[in-house]
Amino acid sequence: MTTETKPLAEAKEQKAAPMLASLREPRVYVRAVSLFGVLGAWEALGWTGIIKPSTFSYPSVIASAFLSLLFSGEMMKAAYQSSQILGAGLAIAIPLGIALGMFMGRSRTFEYAVDTFVYALYATPVVALAFPIAMVLGVDFAGKTTIVVFFAIMPVIINVYHGVRNVDPMLLEVTRSFCSSEWQRWRDLIFPSIVPYLVAGLGMASGRALVGMVVAEFLMSISGLGALSQDYIGNLEMDKGLAPVVFLMIVGILLTKLVDFFESRFASWRARNER
Amino acid sequence: MSRTAVMEERRANLSLRGLHKRYGSLHVLDGIHLDVGHQEIITVLGPSGCGKTTLLRIVNGLIPYDEGEVVFRSERVAAPRPEMAMVFQHFGLFPWKRLYQNIGYGLRIQGRPPEEIDRLVRRYIGLVGLDGFENHYPSELSGGMQQRAGLARALATQAAVLLLDEPFGAVDALTRELLQEELLRIIDVEPKSMIFITHSIDEALLVGDRVVVMSPRPGRIRFELETGFGRGREIEAIRASDRFQAMRHYLWEALRHPDSDPGPVPDGVSLRMEVKP
Ligand SMILES: Nc1ncnc2c1ncn2[C@@H]1O[C@H](COP(=O)(O)OP(=O)(O)OP(=O)(O)O)[C@@H](O)[C@H]1O
Ligand SMILES: [Mg+2]
Repeated sequence: MTTETKPLAEAKEQKAAPMLASLREPRVYVRAVSLFGVLGAWEALGWTGIIKPSTFSYPSVIASAFLSLLFSGEMMKAAYQSSQILGAGLAIAIPLGIALGMFMGRSRTFEYAVDTFVYALYATPVVALAFPIAMVLGVDFAGKTTIVVFFAIMPVIINVYHGVRNVDPMLLEVTRSFCSSEWQRWRDLIFPSIVPYLVAGLGMASGRALVGMVVAEFLMSISGLGALSQDYIGNLEMDKGLAPVVFLMIVGILLTKLVDFFESRFASWRARNER
Repeated sequence: MSRTAVMEERRANLSLRGLHKRYGSLHVLDGIHLDVGHQEIITVLGPSGCGKTTLLRIVNGLIPYDEGEVVFRSERVAAPRPEMAMVFQHFGLFPWKRLYQNIGYGLRIQGRPPEEIDRLVRRYIGLVGLDGFENHYPSELSGGMQQRAGLARALATQAAVLLLDEPFGAVDALTRELLQEELLRIIDVEPKSMIFITHSIDEALLVGDRVVVMSPRPGRIRFELETGFGRGREIEAIRASDRFQAMRHYLWEALRHPDSDPGPVPDGVSLRMEVKP
């Protein structure tokens, strides 16, 4: 993380008019210019007719399609269906991934017993597993949730495992010197050390869970946002087909922010360091 | 105190008997014999890398050794025990715990009642001069302050044996003297056995009842000096004494010439040479 030191005068000014002053920061205005520039160019291409609504669509049309799907209730119905798979998938993947990662990190025997499978699965494109999963678990809730689990669990396992492995050996020795029990060692040392790894893992997991959800909805029984998008794209209504994609993008950003929020809550000692 | 009473007091309660430690082909400790008497303070001097930290880790039961044994109160030490507390050379504070929790760590592990923990933590925070920093994280403290926190954490457990690995190595000269005085005052009130590693000849003499000098590769004990300053020490008075100056000079010459015999000892100083098998 970079911390920029600002001259005192500028810092004072910022207090007086925070909104205005923040516009002067490159972080804000470079991003704004870039965002509006790209959207504007895309829009212009649409207006000049180079991009047609039936092939790729453009921002203003997508925005109005987004609103119409939102108000007709279609978007929310689809989102509700999707959120069930996503929620169930994450609710299984996160605790299971944490437990597997912890045991792998702390027990050699367990690690050797499962690491071949974990790394094999990590290297496998999960999409390819959709059909075997569908054969075993069906194309409905169970099958789709399982796909989300497979997508989301890997970064959790791997990161938690690395977190446990990278616990400071000197501090491990301190806990031993003071005759800590194994449970106390987890409480005082191992859990706090894996928080940053876990947070990074959860960030990746939430992104991959969204991908898994859409994949499941494309490939298995028709439902949710993935199906909504595919249906309209099949009808060549690109604007309505892309509106659910925008919705997913927003959900993805919100999930990332949520993870960041938890990180700042749990790792206040690190936030202070970097200030 | 009569000579026999002194002998009685010093009856070893911690014995290292012929310790050998190897890391692969590196022979780190080569037959270390050392008896630490009841409430006796041993200071250890020796060049960097001669195995001082390794020795403390073995005594604490943290790492295995190849030959010999460590005996504490007639029991063989195989694992850490609560009667011993270590002050780590690298401080070993938990970065996510505030100073208060770091100093109370050992007490909490031992399951002491919260009121007792609070009383002891506050007392030792005060003794090492960290009042007002209770809520700071280690990264918000200077190296010297972190080191004092490590000392307070070990003292707070009121262990009978303290193992101190260069406990004042990161503090400034003035604080160092204040802490030496503080430590001497604490052990006047709460006597303990100590193995105290230092790179400072003055500190070894001011704090120790016996100064053990080690040689490197393989780590051996070259010789030991009895300082004979007794309890209730006054640092300034000791410094001014001829005896201190003579021993200081002797140790200085011995450390400067690691390969030669340190020669005749100053008057009135008793010297024990390590017998090499
Ligand atoms: N875990 C280890 N594996 C291999 N070699 C080690 C290990 N720990 C220590 N050594 C070696 O043992 C020797 C003694 O190390 P030790 O840390 O005990 O020295 P020291 O006397 O405490 O030095 P210093 O005064 O610099 O703290 C060194 O040569 C070191 O490289
Ligand atoms: Mg050392």
